[in-house]
Amino acid sequence: MAPTTLPRTDVLIIGGGWTGLTAAYELAHAGQRCVILERGEHRHDATSFAGPEEHDEMKYAIRHHHMVDVTKETLTFRNDRGQQALPMRRLGSFLPGSGLGGAGIHWNGQLWRALPSDLEMRTHYENRYGSQFIPEDLSVQDWGVTYDELEPHYDFFEQICGAAGYAGNLQGERRDGGNVFEGPRSQDYPNPAMKQPISNTLFGRSAESMGLHPFPIPSANVTREYENPYGAKLHPCTYCGFCERFGCGYFAKADPIICVYDRVKEHENFEIRFESQVLRIEKSEDGQTATGALYLGPDGREYFQPADTICMNAYALWNVHLMLVSGLGKPYDPKTRTGVVGRNYAYQTIASVDAFFDDSVITNPFMGAGALGVVVDDYNGDNFDHSDLGFVGGGYIACKQYHGRPIGYQPVPEGTPRWGLEWKRAVRENYGHHGDIVVHGSSMPTPENYLDLDPTWTDAFGRPLLRMTFNFPDNDRRMSDYVMHRAVEIAENMEHVRSVKSTNLAAVGSNYNIVPYQTTHNTGGAVIGTDPATSAVNRYGQMWDHHNVFVFGACLFPQNLGYNPTGPLMGLAYWTLHHMKNDYLPNPRPLMDA
Amino acid sequence: MTPLSKITAVVVLTVGSFAAVSAGAQDYSETPGIDALVANLDSERALFNARVEAPVDDDLLEAGRLVAMGGAEFGGSGMACFTCHGANGRGDGSAAFPRLAGLPGWYMYKQLMDYASGTRPNQIMTGIAQKLTEREMEAVATYYAAIDAPFRDVTSDIAPDVLQWGGMLGAVGSAEKGIPACVNCHGPSGTGNPPSVPYLAGQYATYMEHQLMLWREGTRDNDPMNVMSAIADKMSDEDMRAVSEYYARVRAQEDIEDAADLGPTGLAPEIEPLAETLDVEAD
Repeated sequence: MAPTTLPRTDVLIIGGGWTGLTAAYELAHAGQRCVILERGEHRHDATSFAGPEEHDEMKYAIRHHHMVDVTKETLTFRNDRGQQALPMRRLGSFLPGSGLGGAGIHWNGQLWRALPSDLEMRTHYENRYGSQFIPEDLSVQDWGVTYDELEPHYDFFEQICGAAGYAGNLQGERRDGGNVFEGPRSQDYPNPAMKQPISNTLFGRSAESMGLHPFPIPSANVTREYENPYGAKLHPCTYCGFCERFGCGYFAKADPIICVYDRVKEHENFEIRFESQVLRIEKSEDGQTATGALYLGPDGREYFQPADTICMNAYALWNVHLMLVSGLGKPYDPKTRTGVVGRNYAYQTIASVDAFFDDSVITNPFMGAGALGVVVDDYNGDNFDHSDLGFVGGGYIACKQYHGRPIGYQPVPEGTPRWGLEWKRAVRENYGHHGDIVVHGSSMPTPENYLDLDPTWTDAFGRPLLRMTFNFPDNDRRMSDYVMHRAVEIAENMEHVRSVKSTNLAAVGSNYNIVPYQTTHNTGGAVIGTDPATSAVNRYGQMWDHHNVFVFGACLFPQNLGYNPTGPLMGLAYWTLHHMKNDYLPNPRPLMDA
Repeated sequence: MTPLSKITAVVVLTVGSFAAVSAGAQDYSETPGIDALVANLDSERALFNARVEAPVDDDLLEAGRLVAMGGAEFGGSGMACFTCHGANGRGDGSAAFPRLAGLPGWYMYKQLMDYASGTRPNQIMTGIAQKLTEREMEAVATYYAAIDAPFRDVTSDIAPDVLQWGGMLGAVGSAEKGIPACVNCHGPSGTGNPPSVPYLAGQYATYMEHQLMLWREGTRDNDPMNVMSAIADKMSDEDMRAVSEYYARVRAQEDIEDAADLGPTGLAPEIEPLAETLDVEAD
């Protein structure tokens, strides 16, 4: 049966998560009729995420009930081009969401900004260390947009979330107790920082005594009653310890449903269609613009939704997939190193350090929150001298207390057997005496790490699966090793610590493994920039090849930051929306010359 | 599909005819012996609920009973708890005096501290609490936490749809108003979450309704994170009444089973569940 063509809309938005709902809010209020197509179902914090049912670790954390259904859509994976990629049939290393709010409902709420130097990475490193410093096999590039340009948008998103923290750089004035390395903030966080438990406090004390600069992790776990600029009323966090992988039934973790959706759902220009799976974006005959999207509705029938402007707001990986299956932009080819869609895929480089306290320190790990932590940024970005280190990038070191879930939280010291009586005894003895330290490192792009379409496997709708080819570059392995050793030093210097264990997931000699969870921070594949040869979209998020298509999310990152991506990608989203409202929509055209 | 299927709670409709025979608050015969209290603390769960800071022993419980009966090591408050709350902590069923039996000890201790400091101002309790030492507060909190007293009848008249709405607020809150569900913190059947979160199940409706109003108007301001004032701020008078009347009728499953075990004590019929008349246990 031929697809039913629906009445035209001004703006078609693909995906109902943070960026999609925000695009709908901003554009609907600018007079644009917006239709969101969301592949998942409607859900709401009050009716869907209330404890104690929501605190079912098996259902949500282990069996991933809030996440994408891999029997319908998944990707194939291999470490390098010499291997045969195979489909990921169970989620592991990362957990993309599905349904209203997307992955924004099961995030931890760590709310960062990029460093000014991060956004001009190639220029910055070449100026500071010389033009030969960045290793040749890294396709590091500038974002094409600066910190000063993004600052008002970072700031606004922090207000939307009711962010809790303490500014380390207030209008250029450095303030101890905050992140002294951050770019200048136009104003302080809207809410005070979270209250820290004992393990994080001891970590902060240790770091400070070593001359480092600890501060509370900027948090979207709200610390007091708060009304955001859209009128959403948020509640104070109860430190229940169920952020990551769970929705928040307390209205305390900022998420796209309560912060944005509830405030726009009644607007006359707003419409959202659930269980609507976009299959392809169609192009005009001359290929210069997109005309709308073909999608599968909840009744199993195909519809064509025409639109003047299309916003791509799916998760980073699925945005790239949709571009590839729709023929939007030129696909990246690693053999010739040309093309842009799928280029510069990057991830996050994670190492962990476990500190075990003596019995005098009782940590009560069940008392936690997703962004409850004390962190040092001294080894992130270019906050430290890289001259003799042989790598670029860095990561933050954080001591966090974000959950004490019975299945997932079983810290045991080095040398403990992996099962049996001794293991059980060790879990019992250490559960309440453990400091959880992570090294959350940047990820540099290489010509050999990329996304394309799999030649063999297809999804439930007959489309080729996305194929991921990825391994950790040597640069990132060296970086991770270096920063992890700094974390070990801090851990060993903590009071009451009797032993320390460290694990580097990007250790030299080991391959990236897609099975153990690391982070849901997949980036790149449709990167932002000022050169159409190396970026899929211009510095406004507009596709070079199709001027009425705007792209949102972490797929825009030219390389991944040492930070969690939600804050940085929402800064970009508000930047793009600002230029759509004020420049593009009144006069649709390419906003930059190719 | 009703979202009420998310909880497993049994609403109990009790018959009013027993109200006339229930004992008044000032009845020494209800005073439990220390042995009975110690027996109540057999399980780790009950002990955790009762303990404030000091180990729970006979001395502490005796000291607690002394305060409850109006005496004290250092002069006491001048008013006996039991005159209003009953020797076994059942209260008297009026709006003003809540049921104390089995509330978390730490929660009650903190309330006494807050009455004294003024963050929970109350014409009666503030003066009383200011006359208690910290040790006396701890002792009397432990004492009432250790008591396991039967529930009184719920006699108020309420329309089923209001009760239904109250149950909905308790189980899933309100997406429209942005009200989170009570069960998030107060437990699956409103049984509380010691040491800091009190039970709602079986508490007096008028007391709970009044407290919600105090949270909303900011008179009661003793929640360090202001969770309750943020919630109450979004509730209408009708919401407050509905959810209070609902929880007044909820009994935890174990309480229903315990009540059945009481047998011929004469107290069991008071809380005999007529569960089939309004059973929201779904699935």
